[in-house]
Amino acid sequence: MFTERLQVLMSREQRRRLEAEAKRRRSSVGALIREAIDTRGASATPEERSRAIAEIKSMRGGRFLSSRELERVIDEERERLPGRARRRR
Amino acid sequence: MTFLVDANVIVYAAIPSRYREPCLEVLAAIAAGKADGKVSTAVFEEVWHLELSGRVGPIRGLAERAYRAFTPLLPVTDDIVARALRLDAKRLGSNDRIHVATALANGIATIVSADSDFDQVRAIRRVDPLDDRAITRLL
Repeated sequence: MFTERLQVLMSREQRRRLEAEAKRRRSSVGALIREAIDTRGASATPEERSRAIAEIKSMRGGRFLSSRELERVIDEERERLPGRARRRR
Repeated sequence: MTFLVDANVIVYAAIPSRYREPCLEVLAAIAAGKADGKVSTAVFEEVWHLELSGRVGPIRGLAERAYRAFTPLLPVTDDIVARALRLDAKRLGSNDRIHVATALANGIATIVSADSDFDQVRAIRRVDPLDDRAITRLL
């Protein structure tokens, strides 16, 4: 049961988009906002987050590349992806 | 103060270099709720590409751990793509433009990154992980 009322300020454009999306889904703006809140609520606990960082801290053996080199690797990986996907099939 | 975390900060937290300790400090502060750092889907994708490339050494599992630490990620929406296209930063790459636009669309004016290319964008302030004083102020 919904018992809480909340007034939210937003831009005209945000409101227009919310109403358009609600119409597209044949739903209501309120239902859309409740769904967004529930989605964001499904996040990790502080303990889970800290455990993930501890696991990153325990990692060994990586190779340092400058930020520019990292960007180059990312670009090359993007270009390689279609070929790699074909090989995996 | 809310800030965006760049992919190199996450990767540098996992590999040996002088960046490792400050980057781990940033990530740990966020995970503990002491700092308000955000990661976007575009940043996450870069971390994943780097892991899968195998060219940064054995960092298997980094993307999954980063996801657990930083979910929910900031989404890259249609509005953010439109902002990125309008961004006045001619020498900035497409993904870096997406990062800046993601930050600005979420009211974030600071990015923690080792990438000095962000210094050319007036709308956002870059904090280098090696800048002790700036990192201390941020955390």
